[in-house]
Amino acid sequence: MLSIYKVCYKNLLRKKVRSSLTIIGVGLSAWVLASLMGFNKGYEASLNRDIDNMGFQIVVTAKGCPYEAATLMLKGGTSLRYMKESVVNEVAANAEVEKMTPMLMQAIFDPNKGESGGMSAYLGVDPASFPQMKTYLEFKQGGWFKDAAAYEAVLGYEAAELEQREVGDKLLIPEKNAELKVVGILKRTGTQDDGTIFIPVKAVQQIFAKPGELTGLGIKVKKDANIAQLEEKLYKLPDVQVVSLAQVKQTIMNLVSTAKVMVLSIAIIAVIIAMVGVINTILMSVFERYQEIGILKSIGAMPEDIFKLIWIETFILCLLGGLFGAVMAFGLSQVTELLIRRLLPYAPTGSLILLDFKLILTTLISVLLIGLVSGVYPAWKAARVRPLESIRNEMG
Amino acid sequence: MNKSFTILLMLVCLFSVNNLYAAVGCDLNDPDKDVARLFPESTGYKTSYLSLDKLGGAALMQEIEKRLGDSFQGLYETVDVPYTLYEIYKEKEKIGYIHGVNQKGEYGGIQVFLVLDMAGTIKSLYFQKLTSRAAKQLREPDFGKQFVGLNLKDFYSYDVKAGKSVPSGKVDEIKNPVPEAAGDFRAALRATKKNLILMDQFVYSNKHLQYFKP
Repeated sequence: MLSIYKVCYKNLLRKKVRSSLTIIGVGLSAWVLASLMGFNKGYEASLNRDIDNMGFQIVVTAKGCPYEAATLMLKGGTSLRYMKESVVNEVAANAEVEKMTPMLMQAIFDPNKGESGGMSAYLGVDPASFPQMKTYLEFKQGGWFKDAAAYEAVLGYEAAELEQREVGDKLLIPEKNAELKVVGILKRTGTQDDGTIFIPVKAVQQIFAKPGELTGLGIKVKKDANIAQLEEKLYKLPDVQVVSLAQVKQTIMNLVSTAKVMVLSIAIIAVIIAMVGVINTILMSVFERYQEIGILKSIGAMPEDIFKLIWIETFILCLLGGLFGAVMAFGLSQVTELLIRRLLPYAPTGSLILLDFKLILTTLISVLLIGLVSGVYPAWKAARVRPLESIRNEMG
Repeated sequence: MNKSFTILLMLVCLFSVNNLYAAVGCDLNDPDKDVARLFPESTGYKTSYLSLDKLGGAALMQEIEKRLGDSFQGLYETVDVPYTLYEIYKEKEKIGYIHGVNQKGEYGGIQVFLVLDMAGTIKSLYFQKLTSRAAKQLREPDFGKQFVGLNLKDFYSYDVKAGKSVPSGKVDEIKNPVPEAAGDFRAALRATKKNLILMDQFVYSNKHLQYFKP
């Protein structure tokens, strides 16, 4: 004897194309929904990780555009403005400061990169303080330079790949004719550090003729210290600007919220379209089976049995669509991420879309609930069919 | 029903594999412009990706190393390195190839692209990336012209470790414009030989293998 589920499944198989298209429609909306929820989770997690990986909560840079400073901190790059090294002592005088590290970013045009040249960037760091703030950095080979003025370099994983460098190899800074010795290769971190070439800050000052100048000062604040109070004090220093990473995060989240609203709108539209698609499919199926439903009722089927039959059909469509959407969300997450990265003003490193079992389950349950609500009207309509009337109509 | 679920399960397995850290290949930075510049008579190109891993695995890599006369090292010379091959067309006729390899230089990575005709003869040589004290001189057209007309037959006698041909051959006639940059000069020759051997394997059906003397 056929179970009610098998009857429903066979009913759906009668119109394979229509059922498949509905499943695809539901799948697409489930994909958008899962990707959006994964993005909400992934973007913030990646941004937080990027900011945590900075190793400091406040950055002092030379006065200029705060967005430029934020980009400098998170994406790397060069600042056209410099501040005097003496700022280190002035900042150190504040009781809230636990640690700090001076940095000097420099970039140079390398005419031998590609046909028309390209930029090569170097980050000057202090070997005494920088490693303490970036404790998560691990070495694949070698270690940090010991002397703040040594002509040595530590390469991020990708920088070492690109330059094919190993510990002991030489590295040339084009145009400056400066030769460095590679003393360390970092393990992959998934952050901007992977593509960075670290050089002792004094050596960068010497090579690029920027004595006593810095582009940034990273500050780690004591655990119970009042960050806002420290910021206020730092604002009073001449010709510097203070950027707290909390501010940076807030600014970026504000910029991203526009993109989020856009994606959310698309998701809502997709869900509505899927709902209409499900209603249409099931309703068509009910109309086509008008006589059949009448016969079922005439041989004893109760309205609730018919309601259940139609509702289960809706459930199967939504379940298959939801599973299809889940597969798409996983399978196409890289493509979705690429698309989102193009949309966003700033995208942190690492995965922007975080999909896990809980999220997929939430998507599946949401799709099933929406689907079941969509199925109520067609099921109710089918349950109300009058047996004799339906048979008479068909004969007529 | 079972079949549908099997397909779904297969799709999940297929797509949920995380991206592994792949070996690094060597692509043209701007293929449209670069192909037009390197092969002026071309009207189009097709890109394909090849790897020793798929063509013969570790055994083939050992064979290539034997032909090169040196072992592969580092991240750019692993068995799974994806090699990007540009097949060049003039209208519908295939007229040659462009293929690049990565090579460790004295001061950084070097990317050497060869423009080859259908017979496997070098039409031109292009350093896409070159970090060297002699970068300017090595990128001069006069240096590249010395490679034009050579093929793998000429390079098989060149010993990449010793830096000379035994017996003396056409490759020995290539002049190093900056004797102090001998390391990068030899790296360029090693990259060229490696490139030609790979191309012989990939597209010329090893027609030059007859000239290889172990």
